[in-house]
Amino acid sequence: MSALIIFGLLIVLMLTGMPISIALGLTVLTFLVTMTSVPIESVALKLFTGIEKFEIMAIPFFILAGNFLTHGGVARRMINFATSMVGHWHGGLGLAGVLACALFAAVSGSSPATVVAIGSILLPAMVRHGFPNRFGAGVITTSGALGILIPPSIVMVMYAVSTSTSVGKLFMAGVIPGLMLATLLGLVTWFIARKNNYPRLQRAGWAQRLKAFRDSIWGLLLIIIVMGGIYLGIFTPTEAAAMSAVYAFIIAVFVYKDMPLRRVPKVLLDSANMSAMLLYIITNAVLFSFLMTSEQIPQTMAGWILGQDLPSWAFLLVVNVLLLIAGNVMEPSSIILILAPILFPVATQLGIDPIHFGIMITINMEVGMCHPPVGLNLYVASGITKMGITELTVAVWPWLLAMLGFLLLITFVPQISLFLPHVLGMR
Amino acid sequence: MKFLDRLEEWLIATLMGAATLLIFVSVLHRYGSTVHWLNPYLRGINLAWAQELCIYMFIWMAKFGAAYGVRTGIHVGVDVLINRLSDAYRKKLIIFALLAGAGFTAVVGTLGATFVWEIGHTEQTSADMEVPMWLVYLAIPCGSYLMCFRFLQVCWNFIKTGKLPAHNHSHVEGVDDVAPIGVVQQ
Repeated sequence: MSALIIFGLLIVLMLTGMPISIALGLTVLTFLVTMTSVPIESVALKLFTGIEKFEIMAIPFFILAGNFLTHGGVARRMINFATSMVGHWHGGLGLAGVLACALFAAVSGSSPATVVAIGSILLPAMVRHGFPNRFGAGVITTSGALGILIPPSIVMVMYAVSTSTSVGKLFMAGVIPGLMLATLLGLVTWFIARKNNYPRLQRAGWAQRLKAFRDSIWGLLLIIIVMGGIYLGIFTPTEAAAMSAVYAFIIAVFVYKDMPLRRVPKVLLDSANMSAMLLYIITNAVLFSFLMTSEQIPQTMAGWILGQDLPSWAFLLVVNVLLLIAGNVMEPSSIILILAPILFPVATQLGIDPIHFGIMITINMEVGMCHPPVGLNLYVASGITKMGITELTVAVWPWLLAMLGFLLLITFVPQISLFLPHVLGMR
Repeated sequence: MKFLDRLEEWLIATLMGAATLLIFVSVLHRYGSTVHWLNPYLRGINLAWAQELCIYMFIWMAKFGAAYGVRTGIHVGVDVLINRLSDAYRKKLIIFALLAGAGFTAVVGTLGATFVWEIGHTEQTSADMEVPMWLVYLAIPCGSYLMCFRFLQVCWNFIKTGKLPAHNHSHVEGVDDVAPIGVVQQ
């Protein structure tokens, strides 16, 4: 009963268009005051202790690093490298876009940021080369989603925080699915391009490739620093994030010199703005899950679902549908912070591996970012290409369909996600 | 007013940069101490408090940044429904949402202020740096009241001009004027 009231209230408040963070907080406040005798003072304390964890601080650091990389010319050099490697195949610049997105995803933790970084440079170039606008937009919108699957990933940090799973393990588990999805998106691009006979570039010589590689090496090294550092235990994920922020700053300002020193305060401010927004959602979501726990809603729901004798595959299917629906109205961080604490206890009781569950949710979030009405990637791509959302939605569907198929594969073959963490002995 | 705006921006940008540098230095320090010839210099410096300070800096940044975010319109909401409504209803709902935001932050600010007041009369200090806890928690009332003020400000502007601040996610500063890719354009 109280679950119905809480969620009803939350949904009504959210539909007024107020920020999700405020809707969460107001729901908790209203419910506590009118329905319970929980002392309201505990709310104030929760608002502070909610983000008092060092793991959460990886989020602002990764955002800062991502902004330095976007503004500092790293994306452009990665695109050049990708183009010289695969530009001569069917799909040309489109295929290079997939590869560049995958590379950039390996240094950045956010998927809209990947779309912006790669798209704003590559999309105009694709149009100049005679690709239809919608082909380019489709490739970049969906490939940009790799940003949250290929580690580092802000969404994975959110999942790890709200379910107390290891960030390092999740990052490792994302590597193989990320590479597979990149390959799949590349294949779709290749097929469409071959069918329509889209322009190809001339094959770049090995000297050119070597030069492009050497140019982009500073950005590529970051992949090794972050993943190697976390895997070898040199840094915690949060420290790795801080290191990559400083490293990205040095590259952008002193190595590539694409960013003058005077722009640094602006980048700091923008990153702080974005991080504060996410941290504010987290605080209020912690408040919300505190209410959930004190009303014993996750336990009741877990009991109910287990009572239905649902096999674990059916549960996963239901979770996927639920998340896809939620993906229609909310952005990933909020979905994970609200739903993961509720779904997670059921998943563990059904014997589903927490890491596998996390990867599945991450891919589900990717799908949500690429379709309307709230797919952030779509809006970003629409901002770059000046295409309408409806037109973009049509443009995206071949890749989106492939992604949905991939989501099913990951859902029912947990070994894909668990292979790497197990081989590396992370248990 | 301009002064408050600048102060807010300056504060959160500085906290962001300082926290990053702090963790960077503490990691370097940890590995520097294991290097033989550096050890004598670094042994005397204790950076165990770095993590704690970083967390507190980010909490301050988060509270004031959230207020700044109201001004820049970065806080996302579900706009599926309100975009389909007629203008009159839309306007009413938006004003309601903004006032609800102001109300919520005012309540939280007051709760936080009471809390800080109570804890200010105790001897509680933080674990590593041993600063008084009331000083740390001061971020809640200050940040929330500022956020409340920002909501009212945005609401007032909306009533007057009908405009909301909107954050443009797709804008990358300086990318447009960067030369397009030039490697394989034969």
